[in-house]
Amino acid sequence: MSDFEPSDFENDLRQSLRRVPAPQGLKAKILQQRRRQRAQTHPFPWQRLAASLLLTAVVAGGYALRQREERREGEQARQQVLTALRITGRALNQMNAQLAAHDREP
Amino acid sequence: MRIAATDMTLHWRPDFEQLVDEHQAMVFSLALRMTADRGLAEEIAQDVFMQLDRHLARIESAAHACFWLRRVTMSRSADALRRRKVRGIDLWVEIDDHHGAELHQSASPLAVRVEQMLATLPESQRAALVLRYQEDLTPDEIAATLNAPVATVKSHLQRGLKLLRAKAESHLKEFVRGA
Repeated sequence: MSDFEPSDFENDLRQSLRRVPAPQGLKAKILQQRRRQRAQTHPFPWQRLAASLLLTAVVAGGYALRQREERREGEQARQQVLTALRITGRALNQMNAQLAAHDREP
Repeated sequence: MRIAATDMTLHWRPDFEQLVDEHQAMVFSLALRMTADRGLAEEIAQDVFMQLDRHLARIESAAHACFWLRRVTMSRSADALRRRKVRGIDLWVEIDDHHGAELHQSASPLAVRVEQMLATLPESQRAALVLRYQEDLTPDEIAATLNAPVATVKSHLQRGLKLLRAKAESHLKEFVRGA
């Protein structure tokens, strides 16, 4: 029925479908494309360093500003408390003086 | 044995350049036989290796790298063929017109004819035959590579082989052994 024995045909097929060599320069193209992609996704070291420094400066600056603001608000609150205490002390003294004067009256 | 295999997996460190060296012929050949277009096959090979680079951390062993490359190459080749169909290009007419000579550079006359006949087979049969006879995979391995049931792969192999043999009988009389 067939001029080809199954095994012969399959052997011929195997021989005919051996791997072919990759084109010259394929590896170089792949490595070049890889370098390009890496450069796009990972900026140069100095860019990364600059970005890190900038980010650190922004975070540190923000933290320092917040600390300063908190200190200022704390100082303001302390002054208000002291003023309130002074006023209260003065009022108490006045009240004390009035009571003493009242006690001295015949 | 299992311990040794696990140990090898643990100590295996993928080297991208070495993987390209070792597998570029396999990836290119698979893509070429699926698309029958050297330019497209080269593009596919580049894409596959770029994807490997992104996926490298998840590659566990040399065998895994080989399996992964075969699988992705077949998938990318199928995608490329579908894109060409969507664009309305008759791939095989184009092959005959433009790429036939390129496709078969330095191949024997028999290999040239076999590849031409292979290119006329349905894509699923072609994929199964290429993995079987180029890569020497078993039906189980082909099924894993193509993510298809083993029975389907066996059917594609049988039908593809039958079809190819019938074409060979009518077209390859001059190559018949002992003729």
